[in-house]
Amino acid sequence: MKSAAIKTHSLSRQLIGGVLLAEMLCAALFSAAAIGHEMHGRRRAFDVMLHGFADSLLGAVRDAEDPEDNVAVDPTELVLPPQDVYEVLSPSGRVLGHSPGSSAALLAELGAPHAPGYFNFTFNREHYRALRFDGVRVIDREENGGVRRPVTVLYAGPTRFLWHEAVEAVQFYLVASALLLAVTGIALVWFLRRRLSPLQELAAIAGRVSARSWEFVPPATVLRTTELAPIALSMEELLKGLQLAFERQRRLTGDAAHELKTSIAVLKSSLQLLSMVPRTAEQYEAGLEGLLLDSERMEELVSRMLTLARLEEAPVELSESCELQSIVCDVAERLRPLAELKQVVLGVSVEESCVVAMPAGDAALFEPARKRLAAQLPQPARLSPCAGAWWSHRAARSGSGRWHSRLRAASCLRAILPRRSLAQPG
Amino acid sequence: MRVLVVEDEVRLANNIAEALRQRCGFAVDCAENGTDGAALTEFKHYDLLLLDLMLPGLDGLSIVRQVRRRKDMTPILILTARDQPAQVVELLNAGADDYLAKPFDLGELLARAMALIRRGKGAAQPVLTVGRISLNTVEQTVRCAGELIDLSPTEYRLLEYLIFRPRAIVSARELLEHLYDYNWQHHSNVIEAHISNLRKKLRAVGEETSIVTLRGRGYRLEAPERQL
Repeated sequence: MKSAAIKTHSLSRQLIGGVLLAEMLCAALFSAAAIGHEMHGRRRAFDVMLHGFADSLLGAVRDAEDPEDNVAVDPTELVLPPQDVYEVLSPSGRVLGHSPGSSAALLAELGAPHAPGYFNFTFNREHYRALRFDGVRVIDREENGGVRRPVTVLYAGPTRFLWHEAVEAVQFYLVASALLLAVTGIALVWFLRRRLSPLQELAAIAGRVSARSWEFVPPATVLRTTELAPIALSMEELLKGLQLAFERQRRLTGDAAHELKTSIAVLKSSLQLLSMVPRTAEQYEAGLEGLLLDSERMEELVSRMLTLARLEEAPVELSESCELQSIVCDVAERLRPLAELKQVVLGVSVEESCVVAMPAGDAALFEPARKRLAAQLPQPARLSPCAGAWWSHRAARSGSGRWHSRLRAASCLRAILPRRSLAQPG
Repeated sequence: MRVLVVEDEVRLANNIAEALRQRCGFAVDCAENGTDGAALTEFKHYDLLLLDLMLPGLDGLSIVRQVRRRKDMTPILILTARDQPAQVVELLNAGADDYLAKPFDLGELLARAMALIRRGKGAAQPVLTVGRISLNTVEQTVRCAGELIDLSPTEYRLLEYLIFRPRAIVSARELLEHLYDYNWQHHSNVIEAHISNLRKKLRAVGEETSIVTLRGRGYRLEAPERQL
């Protein structure tokens, strides 16, 4: 329920979205910078062009050949854009010449007082860029060095086409950027999806793992990915451990249930057999003794299971170990009073050292084995591959009068739960 | 009838064997592990196999497979502490005839055992009739025209075995193999003596059905054609 409430996000989608967004932002910024640069360049070119036309005008200033020795503008050799406006003034403010066809109002607007240099003005909703500069025209330079005639040149051109060109440039950049964005975006999505596929494969495999299905085999593409390989390997290891633990738990429960059911079946069948037909008092007595034995066996079984459950609950620390010989000696010591009672000589002989990975405190686990041995005395039994135990029977009832045997550690542990194989992994 | 009980829990095996002997009059052999149990089934002396599922040596399921692989149709009843549907299906598919989950009721076990033996011999009803003789396998009684015939347990077992195979020649050896367990000293003259007594008791109630001795071959339960 809680996990259902959590809003999930796709890492690959976020990554693809992020990269595309960054790419778009980059394209937008690049376009803006390109447009700005384009506008600046065109404006500078326009200014240079204005200056060039104004210089041409200055060059067109001629001697008016009048008695007052005035100068005038002779535009006959000039090729100027028809929409441009100009005016050439003498230092006294007299108009030496102006663009033909320009209205007086427009010329008045151009001639309005401005500092020398570039300026803008608007006339009849038309934007103009204008240049005002003071120049000196040397007339008749060949004769006595010429006469210097200062003039003021005013030259303006409409900027409408400038904006039009700028818009065209903007459109070009935007379309080019969009095309580039589309092409690189598709390539990027394909590339990212391809490169992120190991992540998706890992997520898909991990998503299929459940308590019923433990299969987790990371694909080679995942294992080849530097960032994912440690995660996949850790998960694989973890799941193997978990699966093993689950299987062990299931096996333990199954074994325990089997043992308990069998013991109950023994008890129940003994009781039912006893009551099946009328019997003599002796038969009932024998039957009750058998039942007592059955219940004792069941008690022992429950005790073994509890011991095993304790072991399962708190796994043995592999770092701890103890000498098996001391455990066998302990078991033998506990058996000694019973052995003496039965006139059995009990001894422990150590042939080789055997260290087992088990805390010394868990030697109590051998208690069920001890009980079993006590029940078997003086029957031969096996105790340990390393430390051996032997006993002899003084009575000559059996003929041989002596048993010697080894007891295997596995047998002792198997005595805890006979059907449970100790060779199980883990 | 002879039953094989393969159960590693000796106390339980003894209880089952004792109940089968006392209540059903069956001869019972016990095996403590799967290997011995599988070896005993090869003799084909048994009318029912009672197998525990988890056995040392060879598990019950493997024994079932071995028996069925030999085309041995002996009924098999499985005793199991694991009664999950999947396991039951696997058991039945392998060739087991029935199963009983532990801890079971001894009465139910005996009833199922008798029913399986009966069905294995081709009889659907617990009361078998040949001529005027009717044999009740549940009550273990024999009547002739409604009159109770007092038979010893061995005589009853002999008649029951022969009634399951009317008109068929049954050798003394087969009777010994199916009516006595492994511990019994086999002597064919024991059978002869019991057959003789059985004949006398049947004649005493005027029964026409007779047990014919075919020298060197065995015995045959004969009854008038119309009465079979």
